[in-house]
Parts: sequence; structure tokens; C-alpha cells
Amino acid sequence: MVLWYWSGGLSDTVVKNAKARYDSSVDLQAIQIGGQYRSKLITTITGKAHIPDIAGLKGEDMAAYLPNADQFIDLRTLGAEKYKDQYLPWKWDQGFADDGTMVGFPIDCGPVAHFYQFDIFRKAGLPYEPADVSKELNTWENFFAAGEQLRKRIPGTMLLTDVNSVFENVVQQGSKRYVDKDRHFIGDQEHVRNAWALAVEAKRRGIVSDLVNGTPDQLSAKQDGKLPSELGASWAAFDIKNGVPKTKGRYRVADMPVRPANNGGSFLSVTKACREPEQAFEIITWILNAANQAQGYVDAGLFPSTPASYPLKQMQEPDPFFGGQVTTDIFGPAAQKIVVAYNSPFDIALGQPLKDEIKNVGVLGKDPKKAWSDAMSKCRRIAKHLGVSY
Amino acid sequence: MAVLEQTPPAVVRPSPSQPKKGLRKYWHLYAAISPFYLIFLGFGLFPVGFSLYLSFHRWDGLGSMEWAGLSQYQYLLSDSDFWNSIGNTIIIWALATFPMIFLAMVTAVMLNSAVRFKGLYRVAYFLPNVTSVVAIAIVFGSIFSTNAGMVNAVLHAVGIDQVAWLNTPWGIKVTIAALMTWQWTGYNAIIFLAGLQTVPGELYEAARMDGAGPFQTFFRITLPLLRPTLLFVLVVSTVTGLQSFSEPQVLLQTSSNDSTFAGGPGHSGQTMVLYFFQQTFDNNDFGYGAAVAWGIFLVVVLFSIINWRLVQRRGD
Repeated sequence: MVLWYWSGGLSDTVVKNAKARYDSSVDLQAIQIGGQYRSKLITTITGKAHIPDIAGLKGEDMAAYLPNADQFIDLRTLGAEKYKDQYLPWKWDQGFADDGTMVGFPIDCGPVAHFYQFDIFRKAGLPYEPADVSKELNTWENFFAAGEQLRKRIPGTMLLTDVNSVFENVVQQGSKRYVDKDRHFIGDQEHVRNAWALAVEAKRRGIVSDLVNGTPDQLSAKQDGKLPSELGASWAAFDIKNGVPKTKGRYRVADMPVRPANNGGSFLSVTKACREPEQAFEIITWILNAANQAQGYVDAGLFPSTPASYPLKQMQEPDPFFGGQVTTDIFGPAAQKIVVAYNSPFDIALGQPLKDEIKNVGVLGKDPKKAWSDAMSKCRRIAKHLGVSY
Repeated sequence: MAVLEQTPPAVVRPSPSQPKKGLRKYWHLYAAISPFYLIFLGFGLFPVGFSLYLSFHRWDGLGSMEWAGLSQYQYLLSDSDFWNSIGNTIIIWALATFPMIFLAMVTAVMLNSAVRFKGLYRVAYFLPNVTSVVAIAIVFGSIFSTNAGMVNAVLHAVGIDQVAWLNTPWGIKVTIAALMTWQWTGYNAIIFLAGLQTVPGELYEAARMDGAGPFQTFFRITLPLLRPTLLFVLVVSTVTGLQSFSEPQVLLQTSSNDSTFAGGPGHSGQTMVLYFFQQTFDNNDFGYGAAVAWGIFLVVVLFSIINWRLVQRRGD
């Protein structure tokens, strides 16, 4: 039995344990696939050769797999329903195709939170204990006002890297995105206009930097405390630890404004090519049970989709990088409050013009009105090309 | 007929079956040269043909294909993002190629007259070309970063304001071009060097006797005789430059879950091949991706023809 996943997609410890555990009945070969994972998986499925029995599916690729649910075994036929209570309901629903087929079994999720530097917030006269930050910076208005105060008290300091983090997080917080279930473009509606307006406001109030995410400039600004705050998913904790290790002890985690959003999170599936689906499903449910998901969090930063993992010892360890904070206290409740939007296969193509144009506003100083109308005319053209009604 | 004469008379048959016999007799020779053709057929010709077929369809890579007629090409012609990517590619290509050819020529002339450490220089100049583009792009990303970058530090030292290289439309293009220039100068210098060494020494001697200075010698003798080499360098640079992909992709990728094929703010660094990747692999639009690929093919062909004509005419 062949299992395909990618580096960091599952806990290597758990995979090794699964191999040992099922050794008597099945030869489990877990293979880490490097490079363009989805392309490789699609190629084997289309080529009808060497298809893995169990395949990991990345969250951002789900929209591409779900319309082709007939390539996978409906997990409901293998008794998935009886596990439903153990998983986050929204995450569970994300594994379903439009026709009701259950394609993906939940691995992890990516609750978004507010990472900030404790000492900088204190110096700027802002709330600095996680509970206070969560409570006081609970609206975008308060969040932006905090950004203005931060810049005023400590010149040269910006709250956020770019306007896209505002735009995309506001969209992600909602239950609608760019294309709905009826293949209709909804990126011109209130929920997107609101996200756009907030992103433009962040720019107008001067609380975003002119730096680019992930560049050496941005990392050095973070390290120097000039960029003391970011909205990031649970896995961003690992990016911060790797990117700016010298900030150890300075960061804390609080709730993001308004309500949590989700960013990322993957699934395991059983492909049509699998000859022992029951056995495969048994392995999947074991790999992804609450205890093993807690291990996945420790090993690979995969935030569990099983709430029963949150009180376990591995997830209640104080994290010295975050000044001894138990970050599960923030991510755990956040994960349970997430709402998600319909995941359309056309979301990527039709969200891109909006993300591009808001970036032009933020980085190149393009007039927001012009940028919006450019985004809309581009969306109209792409929608027509893809057969999405506008 | 030579085949016929060498075969013993006993096996000679009427002429219609001659080719078949030749094939049967020499099958082992054909078999010996077949691997290249079989591999080319499977991994070269078939994908090319399939991509043409694909460009007349709509396909998400997994489901069933749907006939689309010429609509992908119609959309391609009206797609402002595609035209933008052609413009970007040509600008970046020009910014990279002309300085590169100049520098390569100068380097080649210097290498040609160098007396000591010839081998060492040649290896050193060739090294950038065999270094991984990804590694180079990461280093260039640091060199051209706004606050911490070396280029801006130099500019600052001579009193010029810092430039947001990777955050402005022209900065992005110049950075990509600088990377490509650095990568290809040495390689082309070696090609020019080979060309220089074919120029007969008597010509230089004769020129010196007639009282030509070094510049005259270069423009009247070296350059005209290097024309075939120059053509080769131009065509190869065009074909590689017009297909640039890794350079902008790695330079402009961000750590967030942004598309890695978008090419920076305003798509300023989105080359044709990046655009192809975005349409194909971000959007799962394989039919349109194939049409974009054929569009790129036509642009490359067009440019190769222009190059050819230009260099041919200059010598007439």
C-alpha cells in the first residue's frame, strides 16, 4: 500500500509508527513527494499508472480535486460518518465535493492569529498581555488605531507588512469568497468591497510598510522590532522561529481582530486505484486520530483538526519562543470558531486580479478607484473565459 | 545501389521488395540509432503534438476534455496580461542581452590576449553559467534588497537615494536583467573566444603593416569575421532570454500563499513563461496554458527571424 505525502505534510514519527503497527497485514510504503506535488499526483491519476492508494491533498488544491471526486473513493462508504464528531465541523465539510462525495479526511487546519512583539507594544503604550491585546484590538478600527499610535510613539515602526494581509484575511474571515456554488462571480459584492475598503484604509492611515513578505528586508525589520505585528496562521509560528530566531522570547500570540480565519490545512484521501480501501481507511483514521495529531503538531507544526488533541500534554507545553505562552490557548478556541466559504475551482483565477490590484494600491500607490475598476474589468474577462457568470 | 552490389546474388530479389530487404539486413544499425529517435518521439514530439491538440480544448488536468475550438486562441489575442508578459520579456531580454554581448566581447578580447592563467580565467568566467539559477536568484535577492542590500549601500555611499529594486516596475526588470547578464556573460565570452581564435593571424599582421590601430583592427577585421559567432550568440540568447522563468520566479516569490508566478507588483516581472505557468498550474487551465505556450513559440520564432535578418544584413 502506497501513501503519498509531502515534506512536513504528516508527522514522520506517526508515519513510521503506522508502518510498524500495520506491518503484519500490509506493506505500507509512505513516500515523500518533492517539488510540484499536485502536478505529480494529477499526472499519475490521468496516466492511470502508479497511482498511490492513499494520497495527501493540500488544502489549497482541494478546489481542483473536488470536481473530480470520481477519481477518489467516497469515504462515507467506508464508514467515515462515525468519526465525524471527533473533527472540527467546518474542516470536515471542506472534504466534501458538490455531489456529496467525501473525498478528503481532515489532517490539519491553520487558524489565523495575531503575532506581536510584547516589548514594542508595551513601549508604544498599547495593550501588551495576550488577553488584553485580544480584548482591546478586537475590531479593525481598534487595530488600525493601534497601528497609528505605534507609528507615532516609535517612529519608523509599522503595524503590518502589506495591505494584502488585511485584504486576504478579511476575505478569509467570511463565509463567501469570489465564486459561489452556482458558478457565479461574487467578488464584486459587499464582503469583498468591505475587505478592499479596509485594506485601502490601512494604506491611507499609513500603518503598512513598503516591504515585501519573506525578503531579507522584511526579516531584518521584524528582528529590529520595526515590524512588530503580523496576522498569521498557526504554522507562521514556525516561519517566525526559522526566519528571525533572534526574536526568541519577544513574540506573543493573541486573537486576530473580529473573528478567526483559516489559512491552509490538508487532507488524506483514498484513490480509486486502491485495492484495499477498508485497510487504507483504517490506516488513515489511525494516523489522524487525536493523539497522533497532537504528535503532528509537535513534529511538523500541523495544527490538529481534532479538538480532543488540544488538552493533551504535548499541546499544553509552554513555548519559550513565545515567552512561555501556551499558544494552544489562542489557536485552539480560534480553530473552533472558524467559518469557511465555498471552495470554488475558479476562486484562484478570479481572486488573483483583486489581490494583484490591491497590491498595486499598496506598493505602487495606484489610485484605489482605478485599481478596483481595473480588477473588475479583468475579472469580467476571466469569468467569461472560464464560463463563470458575472 | 551500393547496397545491391554488396549483397550476394542468391538473396537478390525483384526491385519492389528492395527497401524491405535493406531494412531487414541493417535492422541492427537502425536499432543502434533508434534510442534517440524513440525517446525524442515519446518525450519530444508527442508532447509537442499533444499540446497543440490540448490548445483546442478546455481541460482541468483530471476530468474529461471539452472541445473549445479556436476560443483559447481568441482569448489569448485579447488577453492584456499575455501582451504585458510579452512586453516584460522583451524589455528584460534587451536589458540583459545588449550589455551582456558587449561585456562578453570585451572579456573575450581580453582573454584572447591574456598571457598567464588563461585556463583559470576561462573556468572562472564559465562558473556563473553552471551555477544553479535558484541559488543565484537568492543571492541577487539579497544584493538588490531595499534596506539591507549591497547595491543600495553603494548608491548611498555615493549620495544617491536608495531604490526599491524589487518593488518598482523598472527596478524589477533591471534586477532580473542584471542577474541574466551576470549569468551569461562568461559563457558567451568563451564562445566569442573560440570565434576569435579562428581569425587568421596574418590578417592582423597585414592590418598592422597598413598602419591600422587597435580600434580599426577590431571594427574592420575582428567584428566582421566574428559575424557567424555573433549570430549564434544572439540566437541562443534570444531563445533562452525569451524563455526566462526561474530568475523572476525565485527573485519575486514571497513567503505568503501568494502566487509564485505573478511576477511582483503590477506583474512587472511576469515573463511569458511565468504567465504560462500561472495559467496552467495556478488556475488548472491546461487548455489555455497550451495556447499560451504556442503563443510563446510564435514570439520566439519571430525574434529568431528578426535576429537572423539583422545580423545577415549588417555584413552585406
